[in-house]
Amino acid sequence: MFQPFGRLWKQAPLRSAYDVVIVGGGLHGLATAYYLARNHGINRVAVLEKNHIGYGSAGRNTAIVRANQRTQENIPLYDEGLKMWPQLMDELDFNLMFFNCGNLNLAHSEAALGALRLQVASAQYLGVRSEIVDRQQCKELIPQLNLSEDITYPIFGGMYHPPGGTVRHDALVWALAKGASARGVHIHQQTEVTGITVRRNRVSAVETSRGTIATHRVLNAAGPWSVLVSDMVGVRLPIHVLPIQAMVTEPLKPFLHHVISSGTYHCYAHQSLKGEVVTGAHMDPWISYGTHVTAHYIRHQAEALTELLPCLRGVKFMRQWGGLADMTPDMAPIIDGNDPIEGYYMDCGWGYFGFKSAPITGKYMAQYMATGRRPQILRPFRLQRYEENRLLGEIASPPQYGPWN
Amino acid sequence: MNRIAPSPAQRIHRRHRVSFTYGNRLLEGYRGDTVATALFANGVRIFSRSLKYHRPRGLYSLDGESSNCLMEIDGLPNMRAEQVPLRSGMQVRAQNVWGSPKRDLLGFLDAFHWAMPAGFYYRLFHKPYRLWPLFQNLIRRAAGAGTVNPDWVPGRTDELHLNADVCVVGGGPAGMHAAKAAAQSGLRVVVLEARPWLGGFYDWRTARYDQAPLFERSRSLARELEGLANVRIHTSCTATGLYGHNLVTAVQDGGPEDFFYQRYLEIRARAVVVATGCTERPLVFEHNERPGVMQPGCAHRLAHTYALLPGTSAVFSVGHDLGLEAAADLHDLGLQIVCVADCRPDGHDPQRVAALEERNIPLLKGWVAARALGRKGVEAAVLTTTDGNATRTVTCDLLAASAGLSPLTGLLSLARLPLAYHERTGFFLPTSMPEGLYAAGRLLGYDDPPAIELSGTAAGRSAAAQCGALDVGTAQEAHRQLKDRHRVMRGSKLVMAPGANAKSFVCFDEDVTVKHLRQAVSMGLDVPELAKRFTAAGTGPSQSGIPGHNLPLIMAHLRGESAGTLRPTTVRPPLKPTLLATYAGHPMDIHKKTPLHEVQERSGAVFHRVGVWKRARYFRDDPTGRDEILNVRRNVGIFDGSTLGKFRIFGPDAEKALQRVYVSDMSRVPAGKLKYSAMCTEDGCLLDDGVVTRVGENEYYFTTSTSRAGATVEWFRYHSRHEDWRYHLVNLTDALASINLAGPKAREVLARLTDADVSNEAFPFMGYRTFRLQGRVPARVLRLGFVGELSYEIHVPSSMAATVWQWLLEAGRPFGIRPFGLEAQNVLRLEKGHVIIGQESEIRTTLIDLGLGFLWDRTKTWAKTVGAPALQFAENQKGRLKLVGFQVDGTRPPLDGSIVVDGSIRGHVCTCRHSPTLEKPIGLALVHEDLAAAGSRLHLFEPGDPPEYFDAVVVPVPFYDPHGKRMKS
Repeated sequence: MFQPFGRLWKQAPLRSAYDVVIVGGGLHGLATAYYLARNHGINRVAVLEKNHIGYGSAGRNTAIVRANQRTQENIPLYDEGLKMWPQLMDELDFNLMFFNCGNLNLAHSEAALGALRLQVASAQYLGVRSEIVDRQQCKELIPQLNLSEDITYPIFGGMYHPPGGTVRHDALVWALAKGASARGVHIHQQTEVTGITVRRNRVSAVETSRGTIATHRVLNAAGPWSVLVSDMVGVRLPIHVLPIQAMVTEPLKPFLHHVISSGTYHCYAHQSLKGEVVTGAHMDPWISYGTHVTAHYIRHQAEALTELLPCLRGVKFMRQWGGLADMTPDMAPIIDGNDPIEGYYMDCGWGYFGFKSAPITGKYMAQYMATGRRPQILRPFRLQRYEENRLLGEIASPPQYGPWN
Repeated sequence: MNRIAPSPAQRIHRRHRVSFTYGNRLLEGYRGDTVATALFANGVRIFSRSLKYHRPRGLYSLDGESSNCLMEIDGLPNMRAEQVPLRSGMQVRAQNVWGSPKRDLLGFLDAFHWAMPAGFYYRLFHKPYRLWPLFQNLIRRAAGAGTVNPDWVPGRTDELHLNADVCVVGGGPAGMHAAKAAAQSGLRVVVLEARPWLGGFYDWRTARYDQAPLFERSRSLARELEGLANVRIHTSCTATGLYGHNLVTAVQDGGPEDFFYQRYLEIRARAVVVATGCTERPLVFEHNERPGVMQPGCAHRLAHTYALLPGTSAVFSVGHDLGLEAAADLHDLGLQIVCVADCRPDGHDPQRVAALEERNIPLLKGWVAARALGRKGVEAAVLTTTDGNATRTVTCDLLAASAGLSPLTGLLSLARLPLAYHERTGFFLPTSMPEGLYAAGRLLGYDDPPAIELSGTAAGRSAAAQCGALDVGTAQEAHRQLKDRHRVMRGSKLVMAPGANAKSFVCFDEDVTVKHLRQAVSMGLDVPELAKRFTAAGTGPSQSGIPGHNLPLIMAHLRGESAGTLRPTTVRPPLKPTLLATYAGHPMDIHKKTPLHEVQERSGAVFHRVGVWKRARYFRDDPTGRDEILNVRRNVGIFDGSTLGKFRIFGPDAEKALQRVYVSDMSRVPAGKLKYSAMCTEDGCLLDDGVVTRVGENEYYFTTSTSRAGATVEWFRYHSRHEDWRYHLVNLTDALASINLAGPKAREVLARLTDADVSNEAFPFMGYRTFRLQGRVPARVLRLGFVGELSYEIHVPSSMAATVWQWLLEAGRPFGIRPFGLEAQNVLRLEKGHVIIGQESEIRTTLIDLGLGFLWDRTKTWAKTVGAPALQFAENQKGRLKLVGFQVDGTRPPLDGSIVVDGSIRGHVCTCRHSPTLEKPIGLALVHEDLAAAGSRLHLFEPGDPPEYFDAVVVPVPFYDPHGKRMKS
């Protein structure tokens, strides 16, 4: 009980052929590998990772989980995903530190409250707990909140979503790797995919920096790099990759007991179990694969946070980092397979929803790849929808003139 | 206070006593002390308890490398006591202790370290799941360092944005020489120094170079720099970041004479010289963080800078010549030096070895400290040979331990320069430097004063050459001299002491030991980035301050590899944790007010922020706008629409530009009449709507919605970027105010202000006229009907808007005029079925979905209209959401955002209000097209506990005055 873990994942030789090759050792790739082995008995699976597992968005996100999306196409997936955490902790025998603290989303105008009400209505109608709260109730949830009228955007009310919270993101990477490896999946780090061979419209092999792997099923789960991977087979994705920044304060004794966010202030924050206030929000408005941070961003974040939570004025930012978000035009993912190339599957374009959705998507993706039949719950996310100009409705705002829309 | 005789290098002022409280004790220190040195002077040795094991922690270093001296000072948690200058009346408290730092109730946890292997919390507590929330609570309470103080009010913060030719980071000898060299070329130089004074390693050293003790040398150099008009020096100022194109950020602490508490700086420089020097590399051995173990430099500085003897009898375990120097020097100041172990087998500076011999201090070459003995402080040290074959135990109360030096490469790392292991120094250094960025001094491994100074001069000259103030040859000459005459030092290669294990701390902040790293490696987390995440090493308040250099060395060692195979983890800004208050600066709400803000305020307007604007939402006590609405319908109202986008476009190709972005055929825009049209995105989604009129030969005037006013010029330019069109587009939004005069009596009011014929025949609906009001104010008057009544949108120069507003109020008094706000306008236009973009549309709502398809002119295919191909595609597409009007059964309107349901979600309510005019609840909704036909029954779901259901029926819009008789009359 008090012993450390043994080796979390085995080192395995790179075989010349696998039943399934997964490009990307992030959460979606590892989860799919895990469920392929666990639920479908397919364990001749290779997860190929250019860097080390969890290097990309899996290790850079801010670990918030929730199921209060806007549309009925999205909510059921996130809802099922949210209910998995206790079960996953048990099944993977790994403490993922699921902190069911609930999420409070602030509205700063009547119109914003209306937009949140639509989210609450959709959630409630689909059986997800979520409610509109007035400004006093916001204050009851977070006593440090500034209800003054003298701030830039006075608080009107909010949306409270009790089932949400946070999960330790790195732990999920290791737990899935451990679970997958225990079931025979091979995890190959420092292995870069350089090409995908297609013969008669069917995937036949994957070229890597360490040699060729024969396979008929490939999953593109490369996150921000999925665009480049997809280019290898000539499938162009409507994904813009934008840098997104986040930061943490020094650790403090617990005082913030919920995830708090504000679209108007472009800001969210929660206190990790370790005591750090984790905060971030909007993306840099330019396309880039660089993960560098900017000087102005941390200031913006401080301005927003000190207005919302004045008690944070005497707290220090300790670390700021950047990651990448693979944005689609409708803030919903692209999950597709065998179209137009047999054996080529995609699970990408998650933007900043990729963390909370990982285990559940991996489960259904595994089913998809094992059977070749698209599970009902994944149907809304076909790539085709962009060609048909049928965007999903996650974005409430009207069109704006930005790089991704 | 147990101080020693004053050193000539001291920085305390013995004439100025400063009293402060620690817990409930009243103590005294001197001006010039830091909180930590004052506490040390008063006999405090245990400053805090560690995070996990609650081990006692003492003063280890003086530059904030560890969390050992994190304390609560004047109500602020997590302050680095070794860096905070002592001030009179300060209140200092220990934090994260249960009891006192000396007697901490959780101190027993140290004995249970075996139960806490690397990542133990990932293995425990989650089974059975129902107990997890309980443990979670315990974990949360145990974690975290200080406690947030909600009542703390920051002192004044300041910000400074400097442009410099050269920014020198680090005011030690190298930095000062770099600054001097650059300044001699006439450049503007900014020097940033983290300590309260310039001098770096020279500041406390009495060793001599060129006749003078180093501390004197640095002080005279500092005075020289201070005298230069083109050098600006910021002390107590830590560089926190280095971003693209040489943007340096820094944070400066205000001294007693400064007007600010803390200041944020951004320096944009043409060249940056990084001369941040070195810190000492922590020596990793058993109990290497016991109070009484400190870095030799820390011991040395305590004596010289603060006149404090760090102990009574000391053992040194060092890996660098500075350590030998410190031992000899401290001996002369009265510290008994039992022996000096140096992990280097050879390569010692002969002069310093001789100095030890002179003093009869035994030097053990190839020896190192292996263990500190003693529970709450050092009582003895176990020394061993570096191969671990021989050991001896020596009694002492101070163990000055360091493995050598460690370069402060944080800024270079932030410049995203890949670091590689440098064989001779044992440092991780960049292999090449980009243009405009230079490194100098001890950071590069130079150890001798002449080398350090020359390296500074060389870097300063390179920076000057980069700025074009010096020829490249002269700059290179200094580098050549440096290369010819000096070599970087040979650094200690010791990774850690033999036998380092479960109590050998690699990271103090997070209580991570060598054993934990070994466990991580055996789990497969065998690169620094993964081990850091798993063990938390380097994620504490002082980040990689303690583990930075050691982590890759130790991990490579544990993997059985040579030192250079692994690299340090990524360094993140800010390099020094910085208060949010300092980043946030003064609270600033930057918003725009319309030219009618004050006059509306006088009428009792309640303003709300809408986008960048403050807008009048309603007047006096009428939040629903009911009275305002009825007054517009019955009499006349005025509304401030100044935020509306207003544009003039002219030039021979103006019409082509309009054709490109508007969906209608703009070739037939008449003079004197308004044409209503819309702009779409490439997806055919509604972007903007407004009216256009022709005001002259190749000249048009048009309006946009408020939210698009800022982006319209860019939109036009973007969509004609490949064309060779000649047109000018001028944004008049701020130049012109807009007042909407609306209501059945609007004409009578307007007629009182002008001689122009405003009769329905002379100035019909959708007409555009220009005339003067009261014979003076030029006005553009647009006869529109957004609120569904006879109305005039009056555009006048902003400077005259308030006057015109007053005239209208006076002229309208007999007709019952009153201002109305946004809420009233919202309901008025709802009754009329007019759309507000963003309220009735989402990002995916096309022009056709909104029922505005008639605006799109299909015949102008030659014009390449933005969005037309998508509209063609979407035109006959099934299953889209359509905008419909509906009427609710019952009296209460469902709230905005309620959804339309019939087993699944079929749409949502965009706006629904009780219509005071029609006296029933009406609304607009986006619904699936199956439900969009007039007469369809809608089932509405309003969330709540319990939710409420409403029944409604789709009805044709407009709800009010369907034939528009009123606005046309």
